[in-house]
Amino acid sequence: MKTIVKSRLAELLQTMAQDFRVLVPVKSETVSQFVPWQEGLTVNLEGNTVLPPKDIFFPQTEKMYKFKVKGSSVDIEEFAEDVQKQVIFGIRSCDMQSIDCLDKVFLTKGYEDTFYKTKRDKTLLVALACTKPQDTCFCESLGLNPLEASGADIQVYDLGDALGFVAKTPEGEELLAKYASLFTEVNAVPQKVEGFNLKAEVAGIPEKLAKMFDHPIWDEVSQKCLGCGACAYLCPTCHCFDISGNVKADQGYKFRCWDCCMFSEYTRMAGGHNPRPSKKERVRNRFMHKLYYFQERYGQLLCTGCGRCIAKCPVGMDITAIIEKIKEAEV
Amino acid sequence: MNQHTVKMRELARELLSSGQVSLVLGWEKGNLWYKSPPVFISRVEDVEKLIFDEFCHNNLAKYLMDLVHHSGKIAVFVKGCDSRAINRLLQDNQIKREKLYIIGVPCPGLKDPDDAVGKKQGAEVKNSAKCATCSYPNPVVYDALLWETVPVNTTKAPVEELIAKLDSMTPDERYAYWTEQFSRCIRCFACRNVCPACNCRECCFDQAEPDWLGKANNLSENQFMQMTRAMHVAGRCIECGECERVCPMNIPLMAINKKVARDIAELFGECAAGLDLEKRPPLGHFDLNDPEKFM
Repeated sequence: MKTIVKSRLAELLQTMAQDFRVLVPVKSETVSQFVPWQEGLTVNLEGNTVLPPKDIFFPQTEKMYKFKVKGSSVDIEEFAEDVQKQVIFGIRSCDMQSIDCLDKVFLTKGYEDTFYKTKRDKTLLVALACTKPQDTCFCESLGLNPLEASGADIQVYDLGDALGFVAKTPEGEELLAKYASLFTEVNAVPQKVEGFNLKAEVAGIPEKLAKMFDHPIWDEVSQKCLGCGACAYLCPTCHCFDISGNVKADQGYKFRCWDCCMFSEYTRMAGGHNPRPSKKERVRNRFMHKLYYFQERYGQLLCTGCGRCIAKCPVGMDITAIIEKIKEAEV
Repeated sequence: MNQHTVKMRELARELLSSGQVSLVLGWEKGNLWYKSPPVFISRVEDVEKLIFDEFCHNNLAKYLMDLVHHSGKIAVFVKGCDSRAINRLLQDNQIKREKLYIIGVPCPGLKDPDDAVGKKQGAEVKNSAKCATCSYPNPVVYDALLWETVPVNTTKAPVEELIAKLDSMTPDERYAYWTEQFSRCIRCFACRNVCPACNCRECCFDQAEPDWLGKANNLSENQFMQMTRAMHVAGRCIECGECERVCPMNIPLMAINKKVARDIAELFGECAAGLDLEKRPPLGHFDLNDPEKFM
């Protein structure tokens, strides 16, 4: 395995940053997230980031095009986007799985989202294997391997004092070859990840939910939800957006921004009717989407077991407990 | 099981089985030892879920607004701060006193769940910052007080130091400080949705027409949103600190709320919100003796 001592990681990232925009997980006093590498930063190799990496491909607010009305016609101009080749370093298996979910949404079923695709196509993914689960992790229950991220170009292992790199794609090989002089060849076996605090049995859940739209469980599950968007905005897979405009006189621009199915205005129609009038319908939609609708459309769950929603929900909503309730519910 | 939990369950059982109330709002234990989320109990056999420990952060008064059409009486457990929220909601005619059975639980001060992350159950955990400046740990309104009142803590909390630091800054420095804080806001509205002072039927931030708050996440919209909220809850904030606790981006929201509360106290005299049901909030009524410095 190609290894580098942790004390020389900064040197590797600094070298890579001459060829790529390199994004790394960084923990500040207030929050942890992926930020562009610059000299002096400390990469956080412990645990996952509070903010998921989804905004790298799918920013919270993104300008789409500008327009100007000219008489009876309109000029439309796209925003020129200068997308550099980029490397995301230190992304965990759960977040790699979320990128797979986002790829399915934005790139398959007959439509490719240009905004997403331009950034996604220029990205190399260097995944970092976990060493121990956080209190709220349950990726293992969803069939993920915290040591092997699917879709990664390179898999990195934390070997204690050093990091081991294994290329998984030709692009990954190329990247490692490029910086070969920084690595030392060492025989190493990564440690297993054990001791998950949370578990979820998802077998049969989508099929069961297909019959539970009108089940009383939603009254109970939704009761304590406050209807905020912390879960959705911290979720690495939630991808709903709204398109809005900024118009001044005869010109303006359109932009899209994250939206959240917990918000009352999410389904509010012109004229005021709302087909999801209360939090019961909204909460039901959230869990139906994650555990049934997405499975039906794309063949996988829209949850990766990262546990961010469990860690940050103001009222302790816990998707693993809800899965358990669904499992026990009589239909 | 601690004695507090035993007393809670005893009273809840009695209230439900005698039919005095049809619903009990309390706290329970979930999958994480350092979280005690809200629980809604309507069946006697479920009272065993109730607990009280140092992680019972949620202000259950917030849920009373969801339950205005609930038939029957509701029992609600309240700490000191939570009880002030009850008074505030009563003053705003959001809830009816006769529909409530308020159970006061004098609060010893809670622990910081963020500090417990990754630790083993029973490990040493920091006190919660929001409880450090609490002047009212004992409920101010109740039908039953479940145990002895607790002494008031008078230590200076970090938020006080932060306000002093902000006060000593030049306006430009202060602006730069808050710019940095608000630039982090992801607009999840956890602060608003957990806040018992936020009791508008429709929040201005949710209105589509007029579109007061744009949906784009940028500094200008974020500042507008947070400043509007701070001014709107001014004089009605009961300083429970829930907004700051639930903010996933760790924005020091209580520094604004406490600062505004202090300014109001300087202008209108001591008027902590929700202490006295008969005393209207200073910005909620008119008095001929009000200062008119701006005139």
